[in-house]
Amino acid sequence: MNVLKVSRWTIAAFVLPCLLLYVILVFVPIIVSFYNGMLDWNGIGTSKFVGLSNFDKMFTNDAYFWPSVRRTFLLAGFSMLVQLPIALFVAILISRYVRKTGFLVSSYFLPVILSVVVIGQLWKTIYNPASMGGMINQILIKLGLDSWTHSWLTEPKVAIYSIILVALWQYLGYHILIQFTGIQNIPADIYEAAKIDGAEGFKADRYITLPLIVPIFKISVVLSFIGSLQSFDLIMVMTGGGPAHATDVISSHMYNMSFLSMKYGYGSAIACFLVVVCLAATLFINLLFNRLDKRFS
Amino acid sequence: MNFINKKMLGTVMAGLLAVSLSACGSSGNNNNGGNASAPASSPAASSSASKDTGSNEKVTITFQNIYPDQTDPKYKMIRNVVAKYESEHPNVKIELDSLNTDQQKLKLKTQAASKEVPDITIVNPSAQMQPFVDADLFAPLNEMVEKNGLKDTFQSGILDYYTFDGNLYALPDGNNIALVYYNKSLFEQAGAKVPTTFEEMVEAVKTLKAKNITPIAIGEKDSWTGSFLFMNVLLRTNGGPGFLKEVLDGKKTFDDPAFTEAVDAFQSLVQAGAFQEGATSFDYNAGENLFKTGKAAMYFMGSWATGGIETSDVSKDGNVGVFKFPTVGGKGDPNQFMLAPGSAFAVSKNSEHLEETLDFLNYFMLNYPKELFTLKGGVGLAQVVDGDFKAAGYSDMAVEVMNMFKDVKGGDLAFDNTMNPGTAQVHLSSIQNLFVTKKDAAEVAKEHQTAFEENK
Amino acid sequence: MSQSVSITVAKPVAETRRSRFTFTKGIVFAFFGILLVTQLYPLIWLLIYSLKTNEEILSGNFFALPSVWQWSNYSAAVEGGNYWKYLGNSVLVTSVTMVCVILLASLTAFAITRFRWKYGQVVLLIFLLGMMIPMQGTLLPLMIMFKNIDILNTHLSLILPYIAFQTPIAVFILSGFMKTIPQEIEESAIMDGAGVFRIFGSIVLPVSIPPIMTVCILAFINIWNEYIMAATFISAEKLKTLPFGVYSFVSQYSVNYGAIGAFLVLGALPVILIYFLLAEKITKGMVAGAVKG
Repeated sequence: MNVLKVSRWTIAAFVLPCLLLYVILVFVPIIVSFYNGMLDWNGIGTSKFVGLSNFDKMFTNDAYFWPSVRRTFLLAGFSMLVQLPIALFVAILISRYVRKTGFLVSSYFLPVILSVVVIGQLWKTIYNPASMGGMINQILIKLGLDSWTHSWLTEPKVAIYSIILVALWQYLGYHILIQFTGIQNIPADIYEAAKIDGAEGFKADRYITLPLIVPIFKISVVLSFIGSLQSFDLIMVMTGGGPAHATDVISSHMYNMSFLSMKYGYGSAIACFLVVVCLAATLFINLLFNRLDKRFS
Repeated sequence: MNFINKKMLGTVMAGLLAVSLSACGSSGNNNNGGNASAPASSPAASSSASKDTGSNEKVTITFQNIYPDQTDPKYKMIRNVVAKYESEHPNVKIELDSLNTDQQKLKLKTQAASKEVPDITIVNPSAQMQPFVDADLFAPLNEMVEKNGLKDTFQSGILDYYTFDGNLYALPDGNNIALVYYNKSLFEQAGAKVPTTFEEMVEAVKTLKAKNITPIAIGEKDSWTGSFLFMNVLLRTNGGPGFLKEVLDGKKTFDDPAFTEAVDAFQSLVQAGAFQEGATSFDYNAGENLFKTGKAAMYFMGSWATGGIETSDVSKDGNVGVFKFPTVGGKGDPNQFMLAPGSAFAVSKNSEHLEETLDFLNYFMLNYPKELFTLKGGVGLAQVVDGDFKAAGYSDMAVEVMNMFKDVKGGDLAFDNTMNPGTAQVHLSSIQNLFVTKKDAAEVAKEHQTAFEENK
Repeated sequence: MSQSVSITVAKPVAETRRSRFTFTKGIVFAFFGILLVTQLYPLIWLLIYSLKTNEEILSGNFFALPSVWQWSNYSAAVEGGNYWKYLGNSVLVTSVTMVCVILLASLTAFAITRFRWKYGQVVLLIFLLGMMIPMQGTLLPLMIMFKNIDILNTHLSLILPYIAFQTPIAVFILSGFMKTIPQEIEESAIMDGAGVFRIFGSIVLPVSIPPIMTVCILAFINIWNEYIMAATFISAEKLKTLPFGVYSFVSQYSVNYGAIGAFLVLGALPVILIYFLLAEKITKGMVAGAVKG
């Protein structure tokens, strides 16, 4: 139960500046987008109101829409089920074994600071075909695994996984940092008390670290989900959504439709879909973690 | 030391700019929406603008452009001309908003949607500028182009690509044709022959491939590159220009044999291993670089690439030659080219200083060819250049390219300059797909036809 | 509950829990090392990249050193990319945004979690809803809005949306943290006669330094490299931010990769320096905050 009883004016002074700014600059445009989603409009000239037909087309008659949704969720799935557990594992190891943590955690975080332009270029040279000096393929050939070589970014079936790997790698340090911060905030006396009860090492992690890190882990999950849904830059730099839409995700498909195909109305409809997915996901994640919270406490 | 002085000068300039801006009163904003809704026709616009003439009011003209890179001759050109103009017209300040091409396109579209187009901007010809013209965003340049004989500096016919319903809306920054650059020593090394037909080209590809040389470099991540080549094949299989025009007029469909033949021919090139591995992840520059560093034997591109290739290592000792895109299946005329009228300068109809803007653009375009010629950017201009290229230090290859222009007997524009953006995007990804999957020509045709009908 | 009370006596975990088994330790450190190499390599790669010619960069030789070190890339970056001017603008825009985000979001989070009023959870939900909205989707509506209030082509047209887009995640993180601050603190503060603003300013805010640091980092990396909005709303040369510099080496048919690399190094270096300095502060801040609490 919150304790502070304050006047309405005080509440207004605390909440309104932030809320107003946010509602006007983020919420209003999205509502405008919902309206735009019902237009047949190239974004420049005159527009025609067409009701829900853009949405209808999107769900039933757009060969690239559902695959792009699937790839977006694939990325989100990998991020949450592979990247976050690894990050947590590393964070636990660091907090257990390392005395001066600053340097290590900061270094792991570095790829996040570097511009996507750099990351994309770097990985493109790694993924290149062997004849173009691609490192992965050259190593595979040296190991005698010629049949394993691929043109990693241009084979439609492989390309999206190649990009996902880069995204996971780039943001690993981000989640290590967040979860490490969480672990640092767990008071040491809990571990000491557990030690007396005979819980040490990984057993202590199982019964203390994991439950207590849930709130921080939630932040990681939310951020990884946001990142996955908005992943745009990396894909644009590495493949531009190609070859032939094989690496399109929702956001790149939206960009393509709004600004390249000049179907702004249709692009807005996709943006609306993205927003709705985000809402559903936010609610779902919150629900899930409220349950987890309850179970652990 | 020199550097510091420059910086200090820059600071002083910035200060002066701030003063001039506040004097101007309307801040750095180019054109507020005040007169945005006025549906002024061209004579009315120019007469109302003429009221402003003669006044010494401070004027800021925003010039959105795509020349941000110092190493591009156009970077120096635009700054030189602007500096000269500003010294002759002290009341006018030209604010350069230099952006990379992709970002400029996005920005202009967003600006256009809110009727906030900068005084001068850049658009692509024909179908690509149609939506802007339809939205009535640009001022007609009919009168302006007649002043100071500007119109006569342009090559005949080139301005048609920027004219809609008798009104000229933009002035091109270049005019190029597509051709094939080839690396003489690599051809020699492989014992390949410079092709005169498409079939020989496929043979040459196989010969080169057998010697482990990448036959043709391409930057297919930027999918227009592949489309440009494909369209040249189509120009041949169709026996001449105008295929897309006829589709637009309803006289032909994409199921036409000319189109399916072109798809098959194009696929034969891909299947022969003509392009480097992983071509669809190479962007324009990475693709071109393969040729420039002597790793690929041929490079199909617009003549704008001449300047870059000329200064690269590969073209030392006249090692780079050029040839016209050959006939396909005995069809077509090599003197018909893929034509690439350049991006062009357009003026906002709602410009606050329309009169001054038109005057500046007139001055700018008059100086444009001279300035670029001296900066070694004289190949592929839309204007007539007086000057001896050879004597000015251009390479043999560049002169050869310049001579090729004289042979031009018509041709086609790129797909996205002919068809609307919706259809063009489907086409681009459909052609990109041919680089990674073998497809039935009829299927490709159907894909095109469906997209065309959906986007009518 | 246990978690909130014990914040008061928190000590860094690492000190009390150290393994004695050197073998496992060896494996773990080897693992750390490998990870360190993969995460640090891009920076080294970028440094080398920034000293190469275009041809060397595009030829894609992964480990190769430049044949001639192209220091000229750096002078091109500083001059052609207007480094100092853009850096100044970026620092201005980013710092104003971050200060505003922290202030506004912490006020709101405080109100949501500590005030007794009906709509706290509703407000939180409203913020949660907007957390995932992509910036690109709002570009056009914002353009029209800014045109009407006449702030296009000013730093305000960047700062306002940057703040607005960073507040949801900031409110989310800060309210998550403030929820766990024990109520006894306020109760005793009220006993001492402290007002709401004093409780916020001198008790809650200092305790919240660790999550504020997290918010800072998140906001920073989202803003520092932001280009789409900046390129759309800003036209005047003197107002442009660092990402413009990167793209100023991209022309229609050529890219000066070496200069881009140099510019990226110059753009990232201050950040990396500040970050490594800050990293120490983050841990320290956390401990300090905990002890004070």
